[in-house]
Amino acid sequence: MSTTRHLVNRRRRLATTPSRTAENGPEPLAGVTAAPATATEPGPPAAPATTTEPAPVTETTEGEPDPDGGSDPGDGPGRRAEGGSPDDVPSRRDSRLRITLPAVLCALTVLLGAVAVWAFASASGLRDEPARQNAALTDIAGTSEVKGRISEAVGAVFSYDYASPARSDRAASTYLTGRAVQQHKDMLADVREQAPEQKLVLTTTVTESGVEFLDGDRARLLIFADQSNTRTGKDEETTYAAAMFAVDAVRRGDTWLIAAIDTFTR
Amino acid sequence: MARRRTTTVKTGTRRTTGTRNPLLLVALALVVCAAGAAGWGGWQRYAASHDDAASFAQARDDALAAGEQAVQNMNTLNHKALEQGLDSWEQSTTGDLHRQLVDGRDAFAKQIAEAKTVSTAKVLSGAVTELDQRAGRAGVMVALRVTVTAPKGEPAVKESRLLGTLTRTSGGWKLSALGQAPVGSTGG
Repeated sequence: MSTTRHLVNRRRRLATTPSRTAENGPEPLAGVTAAPATATEPGPPAAPATTTEPAPVTETTEGEPDPDGGSDPGDGPGRRAEGGSPDDVPSRRDSRLRITLPAVLCALTVLLGAVAVWAFASASGLRDEPARQNAALTDIAGTSEVKGRISEAVGAVFSYDYASPARSDRAASTYLTGRAVQQHKDMLADVREQAPEQKLVLTTTVTESGVEFLDGDRARLLIFADQSNTRTGKDEETTYAAAMFAVDAVRRGDTWLIAAIDTFTR
Repeated sequence: MARRRTTTVKTGTRRTTGTRNPLLLVALALVVCAAGAAGWGGWQRYAASHDDAASFAQARDDALAAGEQAVQNMNTLNHKALEQGLDSWEQSTTGDLHRQLVDGRDAFAKQIAEAKTVSTAKVLSGAVTELDQRAGRAGVMVALRVTVTAPKGEPAVKESRLLGTLTRTSGGWKLSALGQAPVGSTGG
């Protein structure tokens, strides 16, 4: 059965020999399937087998099981074509295709890869912009949390009652860390010294606070505070002082601590 | 013989198709991977450049920069370059504050010309306290050090706690209100 088909095919092919090259154009599939054959058989040993014995080839394939015969019609003409005289044109086309296709794919890979690299680099560059690193106000909850905690801490730490100095110490150990511990000690040294004698009550209230910078567990805040200094000694008098300073805050667990105090001294 | 040859040819053909397909498949897979990476990267970049938080952060930083500059301008005045200084005041402001400055300009200029003072200001620190991007309003607090030099005597240095309101105009953020943070209002 396949023999007759082959014969028919062959006859048809022979009849249209001159136009076969043209025929190969619109039928790239045939060219593609033919390509491997020409690729592996550029050398003389295999080539003669198909070129010189076109008939035996078809005859032997006849002996093969039928399922193979199904692929034969497509396979046969293609292989025979390379054996024919116009063999050169398709094979050159094929080899060109064989080189171009991977080359195109390679180029495409490189191009797309470059686009990907650029896009990621650019995206991370955008994300690393200082403006974005700073979550002040963009993170509403975080901003208000650090503001609340630090306002509370400043109020506690910079308040002093001659009657209960221990409370101030307790506040200092609760809210201060790092460099701020010593800074606070220095700042309150005078108050501690004079407090018992003058019956001093120092109260600090934060009136305005703004988060300059917030990034994860670090923050910097600008604080405006009022300090009322009440001497309850001989005659009671209260003086108010305006204070402004910046505070570096660090997060410890779920709370914020004052790590440094910047009083803008020259 | 012929049969065997054909079979070898056949297997040869099949093998070459076999070796070629994996190569092509690998190349195709690479292309697909690269395309995927490019697509993902592109999306990431798009998301990064169209981030609401980012544009808000940018607005915040713009407002702060404009606010600090405006506050500094408003506290800098040299009697020798009075007109220039007052122009910069007017350029830094908008709304009510601007109107006040324009109305009071002549009287103020006369006052400064008589006092012959030179004021310079340095922003120590500043923060945005609130920002309403849609309304185009922002609140800033600025810690400022002002040095006033009079013809006689030592330069006076004073530190100022300023609260300002900024309004976004076509020419950027401008001060629409500025004042000292009140002292002692809390009453301890």
